[in-house]
Amino acid sequence: MIAPANGGDSMRNTFLKWLFAFIATAFALTFGISFLVQTRQARENAVLLIRLRISDARRQLSVTEGNLKRISEMTSAMALIKARAFAGFIEQSPELLTSREKLQEIRRMLDVDELHVSDQKGILIASVPEEYHGYDMASAAQSAAFLPAISDPSFEMVQEPQRKGSDSEMFQYAGVARIDQPGIVQIGYHPRRLMEAAQLADIRNIAAGFRIGTRGAIIICQNHQILSYGGANLSKTDLIAARINQENLLNQKIFRTHVGNQEFLGVAEKFRDYWIVGILPTNEMYLRRNSVVGVLVVVDLLLFALVFVLVSILVQKIVINGIYRINASLKKITSGNLEEKVQVTNTDEFKALSKGINATVAALKNAITETAARIDAELQFAHTIQVSGLPDPNPVFPQQVPFTLAASMKTAKEVGGDFYDYLLLDDDHLWFMIADVSGKGIPAALFMMTTKTLLHKLAEKGLSPKDIFEQSNREICARNKTGMFVTAWMGILELGSGRLECANAGHNPPLLLHADGSSEFLKIPPGLVLGGMETSKYRGSSLYLKPGDRIILYTDGVTEAQNPKGDFFAEKRFQQVMEKHNQASVTSQQLLAEINQAVSCFADGAEQADDITLLTLEFNGKTPTCLTLPAELEQLQSLQEFLEKHLLQAGISDKICSQLQLAAEEVFANIARYAYPAQAGNAGISLQILPHPKGKIILQFRDNGIPWNPLTKSPPDINLPADQRPVGGLGIFLVRKIMDDCLYQYQNNQNILTLTKYLPAE
Amino acid sequence: MKIEKDRKGQELTLTLSGRLDTTTAPTLEQELQQSWNDISTLILELKELDYISSAGLRVILTAQKHMLKQGSMKLRNLSDNVREVFEMTGFADIMTIE
Repeated sequence: MIAPANGGDSMRNTFLKWLFAFIATAFALTFGISFLVQTRQARENAVLLIRLRISDARRQLSVTEGNLKRISEMTSAMALIKARAFAGFIEQSPELLTSREKLQEIRRMLDVDELHVSDQKGILIASVPEEYHGYDMASAAQSAAFLPAISDPSFEMVQEPQRKGSDSEMFQYAGVARIDQPGIVQIGYHPRRLMEAAQLADIRNIAAGFRIGTRGAIIICQNHQILSYGGANLSKTDLIAARINQENLLNQKIFRTHVGNQEFLGVAEKFRDYWIVGILPTNEMYLRRNSVVGVLVVVDLLLFALVFVLVSILVQKIVINGIYRINASLKKITSGNLEEKVQVTNTDEFKALSKGINATVAALKNAITETAARIDAELQFAHTIQVSGLPDPNPVFPQQVPFTLAASMKTAKEVGGDFYDYLLLDDDHLWFMIADVSGKGIPAALFMMTTKTLLHKLAEKGLSPKDIFEQSNREICARNKTGMFVTAWMGILELGSGRLECANAGHNPPLLLHADGSSEFLKIPPGLVLGGMETSKYRGSSLYLKPGDRIILYTDGVTEAQNPKGDFFAEKRFQQVMEKHNQASVTSQQLLAEINQAVSCFADGAEQADDITLLTLEFNGKTPTCLTLPAELEQLQSLQEFLEKHLLQAGISDKICSQLQLAAEEVFANIARYAYPAQAGNAGISLQILPHPKGKIILQFRDNGIPWNPLTKSPPDINLPADQRPVGGLGIFLVRKIMDDCLYQYQNNQNILTLTKYLPAE
Repeated sequence: MKIEKDRKGQELTLTLSGRLDTTTAPTLEQELQQSWNDISTLILELKELDYISSAGLRVILTAQKHMLKQGSMKLRNLSDNVREVFEMTGFADIMTIE
């Protein structure tokens, strides 16, 4: 069946597992691709950013260079103007050359630091500061550059700024020719603005002003030298260690390198003979990527979780629930409820499956029903065979016998392993027994049939119970391949004397119900079960039954009957029930009915576990007196005389005698009138008088006439007024009124009517 | 069984003694049929009747039915055995018993 096996994976779990795997893979793929794309993007963005910064740097450089040029030109122009102005002052007032104060005043006015004037030989004749006075311009290359002004009145020159003095500050000289006479007019000044502009325009200073991202930087290299770098937390040593000054790295244009313990992305561009390098920490470059990927992960996770939940709910609703419902139905079907219908109709597939299963179950049910019917019929047949193999449970013997015997068998299954048997060996000996084959059902029944036949054959030979057991045991052992065995109890009753010879082969001891109401279990030494051991010996025992004694043989199905609580019926209860009903008015059949009823009540619906078999034998003591008469009304007198004689002899009262005569007359008149319509015939009458304490009179009529049960006649309505009452039909009514028990049987072509009258206690 | 007849005008008294059973009932029936046509009262004196069976009851019921049409019937002095049978069969309720 499809019911989920323990330990295996349920469909739901398998599905969820795979769904999870797929979704996890999809998630991983999405994540991986976005990560790669984002990484690439981040790198490209970083490169672009760095390039932008580099380009900014270059642009700034261009701008500041332009500025520098203009400032330089302006500074030069201004210097020349100042120098000419000074030359003009000298021309107008040559005396000022000798006035230190005037010179100082002019210097302040011109906003310069130094003023120098030379003669036609190039010797300074006036100077601020004064210590230059007398300095020969030709004595140094720097100052010598101005000497052409002595001979060229149109000379003008602005020197490049040069370092000067102890503080190596940049200093610039501009000079023109003297107007008043040949000579040089020179001014010197600190070109601060120019220097500032130059500084601004110096590529080496660009780097410090640029930052890329938070910790990225611009680095300027030239000829394997790191000229400058910006950004925080960078050291030149680290940069050199990172080979940022190496051409072979920079030639890659885009590269990665470690500065300190930080990885950087680098972009290098050649600018004139410089390398402008931009670097950006990779973690910074991936900052945006990481946040994007982080958001993506969260969104993806939510999305995939949602998909997972939705799909699993859908599958649960559409598939799994249907399968569970089908499985639940199948489970019921498997456990035997073939009425269960599978009704899962949410999809066409399930509809078809339900229909298929229902059809299969219906077919199965039919097949089972048919098979069961066949088996039932066969078992019923087997039951009939088995029961017909047993002797009549309520036997009537051809001749009157001084005992009554009754048996009952209730098999737990259709066929059982219990059996009883009896046989009137001759006029004076009754053989009877009970047995229980191990097990139940067909095997026990088959074994029972052979055992019963065997025992019956041996009994017919006239052997004693002990010998029958020993011989049968040997035979059973010799061909007992299945290891089955039989317990049995057997007795032979001598009818004249009441002597009972018996033996036990492992069977329950019979219950002996004495005529005086007491009882005991008849415990004789038991031998081993039949079929147990080939060499088993059995012991015969004997005892005498008194008139009115009853012996009850039973199988353990009686004493071991269980109620729903698991209690056993047990010997004690059995004995109590039997004692309670051990009265003269209770026939053997009734006694069996009582015990069967008691066991059934006790079981209270619990299943019968074993066959319940009983045989009761009541010893009446004396062989009845018999009379055979032609079945004619004329013989009535003889019958009445016969009855009167024996009844009065036995000390029966007049009144009872008269009642019995009335009953006898009615029955005999019936036989005489109706039994033999075609030819003459006889009627047999037997009379048995049992003494107290179980005093009763048994009157039996037999005829070989047409089968007719007078007891089936409905009684007349005795409450009708005289004019409405039919005149006939009172005979059998009177018989029933008088006698305590009436039993009709038809056996061996004989109508047998047994009438019993209990004698009132004395 | 013995039957003694005593006729006084319209009244007939039959005294039965012994056993009224299957064999003797027809005798009584014949006797009644001969004499019951012109009487108005039938008395059955049963003091000496020891025994009665259904055959006897049948005759008595027939007589009762007949006498209901033309008069009455009385039963007198039933013995214990006979009375018991009458009671068993309900005859005691439908007959006049003195």
